[in-house]
Amino acid sequence: MTKKYSLYIGILFIVSLVQALGLSHLTLFNVSPDIVTIFIAFIAVTVGQKSGTSFGFVAGLITGILSGNMGLNMLARTIEGFIAGFFNTPENSHATSRQKSNRLYWALVTSGFCANTVLSVGYNPLALSPVYRIFVLGFLESLFTLILAVIITRLFLRQSLAD
Amino acid sequence: MQKFFNLFSKYNSYLLFVVYCAISFLFIKFQDDNLLTRLRTNGIGFSAFITDKMMSYSYVLNLKSENDRLMRINTDLLSRVLNIETAAFDERSRQKILADTTLNASKFIMARVVNRKFSDRENMLLINAGWKNGIKKDMTVLTPEGIVGRVSTVSEHFAKVMPVINSDFKVSVVSDKSNSMGLLSWSGGRESIAQVEHIPISSSLKLNEQFLTSDFSTFAIRGIPVGKVVKITPDKLFYTVEVRLAVDFSSLTHVLIAPLKIEAEKIEMMGENTSLETLP
Repeated sequence: MTKKYSLYIGILFIVSLVQALGLSHLTLFNVSPDIVTIFIAFIAVTVGQKSGTSFGFVAGLITGILSGNMGLNMLARTIEGFIAGFFNTPENSHATSRQKSNRLYWALVTSGFCANTVLSVGYNPLALSPVYRIFVLGFLESLFTLILAVIITRLFLRQSLAD
Repeated sequence: MQKFFNLFSKYNSYLLFVVYCAISFLFIKFQDDNLLTRLRTNGIGFSAFITDKMMSYSYVLNLKSENDRLMRINTDLLSRVLNIETAAFDERSRQKILADTTLNASKFIMARVVNRKFSDRENMLLINAGWKNGIKKDMTVLTPEGIVGRVSTVSEHFAKVMPVINSDFKVSVVSDKSNSMGLLSWSGGRESIAQVEHIPISSSLKLNEQFLTSDFSTFAIRGIPVGKVVKITPDKLFYTVEVRLAVDFSSLTHVLIAPLKIEAEKIEMMGENTSLETLP
């Protein structure tokens, strides 16, 4: 169990660094996919709501340090992990891999939308309309993240979700 | 108490969430605190360092395509510069010929030398004007400096010119001061020196006299400069005269083609071949 958590924490650091340093530069229509959201949703769906919330908090701390906006990132990621936790699949459930994937995608979209709303309200350096930021940019970001999640799930997480 | 622990155990996810949110709010509230500011500054510094490194690697990886792009731009610019320089040079040459007051260039056809075959015996020039431009065989080719040769073959857009420095070329000449008449030819060797034959030993020809084309010529119009006498060697009956040609064939770029001299009746009377010049 400790080994598994250590692995998740290691991955969290790497994912946060990749998001802050790599993916944030990969923009399309001024938005970029969020790999940290995918990871938090995956933890929340497969491990549990508490773990999702805790990992969200730590991920927010790391991305906050790297981006220079700690408090807000921590809050948004914590909310993200907490909301994704509602889509958690209990260990004793007989859900298929496909059902788990679908729960992951729903968790991703819902939690991502909430986190994006928090970030949009709390931090708006370009003074864009909150409606535009939440519904247009938020929708695009959720869409890109979902596409990336589908790709990652098919390539790497199929086995993990089947277990 | 038991109830409280049961409640805590049941809703510990919510409590954890509330605790994390509270910490996050504290971070937001005290974001200008020294410790947090330092942490943030160091984080941004680290992020900038990594980004800078990544950018430098990507810059190095992209150098090949960047070099290729610059090479393409260089080639394009070089081609443009060459075109502009060539056009400017052509225009200067054209203006130089048109500005020459000794020739009425309006009667002549102007052409550019587009190819040349030089050897110690057989020299030939190719000009970019053909029968479509009014060029005919045996027309005289010249520059303001002097005679260049005669048109030997004509195609639609080009014409071959037999220059003075071709061993088959001959033209009747006359000196400007002593009126000594002779036949200019070129016997090979240096392209700036030609020979004038058939000048009698009794002639008063002097060094530096200028030879011009004479009326005896069947193709060349009268008075075109040919060259200056640089050496006179007496023989038994005639002088052997060396002439420095007026035209520098090594830098010939533009030429004028004089209208054809129509003297069919004269040629018939003389009963001569038009391709060779002979003295009467």
